[in-house]
Amino acid sequence: MQPTKKIDSYRFVDGIARKVLKRWATLPGETQIPWTPLARRLSECTVALVSSAAIALKSDPPFDPEIERHDPRFADPSYRVLPRTVRTGDIHVCHLHINPAFAEQDLNSVLPTERLGELAEMGEIGAAAPSNYSYMGYTLRPERLLRESVPAMVQQLREEHVDIVMLIPV
Amino acid sequence: MGLVQREIEAAGLSTISLSMMPELTASAGAPRIAAIEHPFGMTLGRPGDSTGQREVLRATLRAMETMAERGGVIHLPFEWTSTEKLALGAPVPPPIAKYLVRHPWGFSRFLNRTPFPEF
Repeated sequence: MQPTKKIDSYRFVDGIARKVLKRWATLPGETQIPWTPLARRLSECTVALVSSAAIALKSDPPFDPEIERHDPRFADPSYRVLPRTVRTGDIHVCHLHINPAFAEQDLNSVLPTERLGELAEMGEIGAAAPSNYSYMGYTLRPERLLRESVPAMVQQLREEHVDIVMLIPV
Repeated sequence: MGLVQREIEAAGLSTISLSMMPELTASAGAPRIAAIEHPFGMTLGRPGDSTGQREVLRATLRAMETMAERGGVIHLPFEWTSTEKLALGAPVPPPIAKYLVRHPWGFSRFLNRTPFPEF
């Protein structure tokens, strides 16, 4: 590993979006950061994934893009559970700010459930959690997501004895 | 993503986000960030590149064992070397882009993240 790499947060953004995102990063943010120390070694941890790509099983109700189309401040605040056995052909992606083609070609590009299973088999992690989660990212008004969906996800994460939650924006 | 991460960490689970925009994720007060310079829609890597995806996943999870300070950011060493022109944007401009074209006077509020009572 070369510790010298410094990520350019804006390499793949241009135009107005670049200006807006740079500005947002400088706005006064949260000063208190919550902290839960890792309780055990990685090789003993159960790991779950959370994606903001709005991934839904084809057998579940789809996310509703009309909420955001009607009023761009808001997005569908619901979430979906994706079992660790989920595969690319089982899902749809409903994010209005990215090209969903890559995820629909290979789910592991945004939700690496197969790769997580491999790390579990190799003993690098304790286990892949039975459930992963997805919600619709990019919303200026996340109140309902935070008030309704996140506590429900947390409850299931606890029930499944998850130690590490990896969050994956797109 | 940072706000969701904070809630989960505050509920007693250890979290890390794999962020392509670490400056923005950090400004939201995310507890741990693994920063990656990958294009949007391919956070872990290209479709079909299982080796690359596994390396990124492994590096992110291993970072969990070394990060001992709240708000820590680890810059992952993976290089995106392709100069291939990829269609990274949404196939249709997102609703907020269309809104701002129709309501240009809303732009400064949007830029400063002030609420939009006029929507």
